[in-house]
Amino acid sequence: MIPAPMQLDFTARELTVKLVYYGPALSGKTTNLQAIHKMVQSDASGRLMTLETRDDRTLFFDLLPLSFQAGAGLSVRLKLFTVPGQVIHDATRRLVLQGADGVVFVADSQRAETRANQRAFLNMKENLRENGMQPERVPLVIQFNKRDLPDIRTDEEIDALSQKSPEPVYKAVATRGTGVVETFLGLMDRTWLHLEKEHGLEQKFDLEPSRFLKDVRQRLGFTRGGER
Amino acid sequence: MTQAQASPIDLTLGDLARLEEVVDREALSDVCRSFFELFGLSIRVLSKDGALLADVHQEREICQYVNGLSGGATACARTVAEVKTAKPDGGPVLVGCFTGGRYRVEPIRYQGRQVGRFVIGPYLPAETRAVPRSLLEIDPGVVDDDALKALAEMPRVRPETAERLATHFRKVVDLLLFSSHRAHLTSEMHVASVREGYRELAEKTAKLQQAYNRLKELDKLKSNFLATVSHELRTPLTSIIGYSEMLEAGIAGDLGGEQREFVETIRRKGDHLLALITSLLDLSKLEQGALRLEREPLVPKDLLDEIATTFLPRAIQKTILIEVEAAENLPAIDGDPVRLRQVLSNLVDNAMKFTPDGGTILLRAVETDLVGGEDGEMGMVLMAAARPAICVEVKDSGAGMKAEELPRIFDAFYQVDGSSTREHGGAGLGLSIVKRLVEAHEGEVRVSSEVGVGTTFSVTLPAVESDL
Repeated sequence: MIPAPMQLDFTARELTVKLVYYGPALSGKTTNLQAIHKMVQSDASGRLMTLETRDDRTLFFDLLPLSFQAGAGLSVRLKLFTVPGQVIHDATRRLVLQGADGVVFVADSQRAETRANQRAFLNMKENLRENGMQPERVPLVIQFNKRDLPDIRTDEEIDALSQKSPEPVYKAVATRGTGVVETFLGLMDRTWLHLEKEHGLEQKFDLEPSRFLKDVRQRLGFTRGGER
Repeated sequence: MTQAQASPIDLTLGDLARLEEVVDREALSDVCRSFFELFGLSIRVLSKDGALLADVHQEREICQYVNGLSGGATACARTVAEVKTAKPDGGPVLVGCFTGGRYRVEPIRYQGRQVGRFVIGPYLPAETRAVPRSLLEIDPGVVDDDALKALAEMPRVRPETAERLATHFRKVVDLLLFSSHRAHLTSEMHVASVREGYRELAEKTAKLQQAYNRLKELDKLKSNFLATVSHELRTPLTSIIGYSEMLEAGIAGDLGGEQREFVETIRRKGDHLLALITSLLDLSKLEQGALRLEREPLVPKDLLDEIATTFLPRAIQKTILIEVEAAENLPAIDGDPVRLRQVLSNLVDNAMKFTPDGGTILLRAVETDLVGGEDGEMGMVLMAAARPAICVEVKDSGAGMKAEELPRIFDAFYQVDGSSTREHGGAGLGLSIVKRLVEAHEGEVRVSSEVGVGTTFSVTLPAVESDL
């Protein structure tokens, strides 16, 4: 079963991109979506849909739909999903991951959660493979969330490691909205570069080079931030 | 993804394919009715491909009036067609009617996509004062006063009010859509998760089944191998023993002291090897279910005495005391004498190995019942038929075993401690043969042990039922 990522509709000039927030339980995936929902320009955002929660824990997924008109009359729809982090919901996690065009891995910065982060990351790779995707080829950024908590992995530690990391690494306090937009735009950049390389979208949609990413920032109201 | 094709919702993107498959028409009609009651404006909701999903309207007096005129009906149909085909892709579209009325066609967008439209009207722009020329020209029979009277009944709406009303309705519909969409997604996710969970389980079960089948196959191969090898080993060994016996008996001439001693050792070790091979053969026969029992009534006390006598020389050598405790009048065991002797010999042999010098081995037979069925099984009090039985215990005062070792000691080739094999000999077959032989008698064998105190094997065997 090879899922079809990124939907293109040439007649409607419509592009749909699926981004998934993955990570261990309670690492702040939903909080990321909530923060984006709050910050995005209201006409670009649909309602944040939360499917089945119990005690504030996601059971199925959260979905934040964003949409805007990009240059050259292109209608862009971004679908931001979170997976349920708890170990038992693996089947659901795999379903939500299907057809992801890009993934944010939200890690918990607390030292005690290091193992949980590792396990969730391995689980993500496994589930990508199960879905017929090559983990190495999926656009990915990593976010170290909860930077405001005590006993976390230090900035120096993360900075030193991210030097060697092939994926961009972001630090965030999602509850305050810090680093959330940067992470999102970082993933958007990578995802677009990937889709552009795979499908030559700029040519197909007659877009000026790198215009799309400027549009994303502008239309969603993220004119600042997004630098790594 | 097949499940996505069959459902109105694409699970990968969480998109809804068609408005009408998600939204509840009754609820939509209710919302439209309440809008109509509140503002007095007709309202219709259409899907993307033009299907009418909700329609609450009132035929206006002016409509009745123009429909009574020859040119009116045609012109009205033209207006209706124009409203129906209006494409509000870029935003609301206003369609004017020749009566001066107006229809406002609004897109319904959801998650960045147009999924349908709604139509408010007809209404008159608030500033309308006179009968419009377009109405007067439609038919020569139009009477200005009558038309004006009919128009007076039409609701009048200012452009900014129309905008606000449309926004309000759009928000209500959006909420309705959102709730329906979420409910649908939730149930789809439920089904998909269960299906995915089931798929995963089925895959694992298949893998386990495969592994199980392979193990069963291997087990069969092992049994066959054992049978063949034992048989092939026994044939030459019988000759070796036979010839050493002949040598011992002096058939090939007298033997000197050391020669006799060597030949004796060859014969004794040969016997030992033969016994081992025989037990291997027994085991494979038992595993293949090829063993036939020759049953007859056996007096428990005689059986125990006989075993004790057999082991007496070894017991004396090790200064171990063998005690027999069995009443004379116990019911007879219904068993195969050769096989039961083998069972008890194996147990006593085992006890001898592990009982230190100066220890005691107790052989005891008592009357008991054999109860069929598993403990705790449903209706066990009804289903389990008790059968008179004899319990034979072999109790030693050896080193004992730890509780966690007990469940495995009846496995073939299992040794509690690998090192004891070298010290005590044996291939770890004795107890597994005991278990299989006892089970072939429909009996049970149990073990209890305490480290440092000793081990007790209890063999329960069916007794001959006197009243049958």
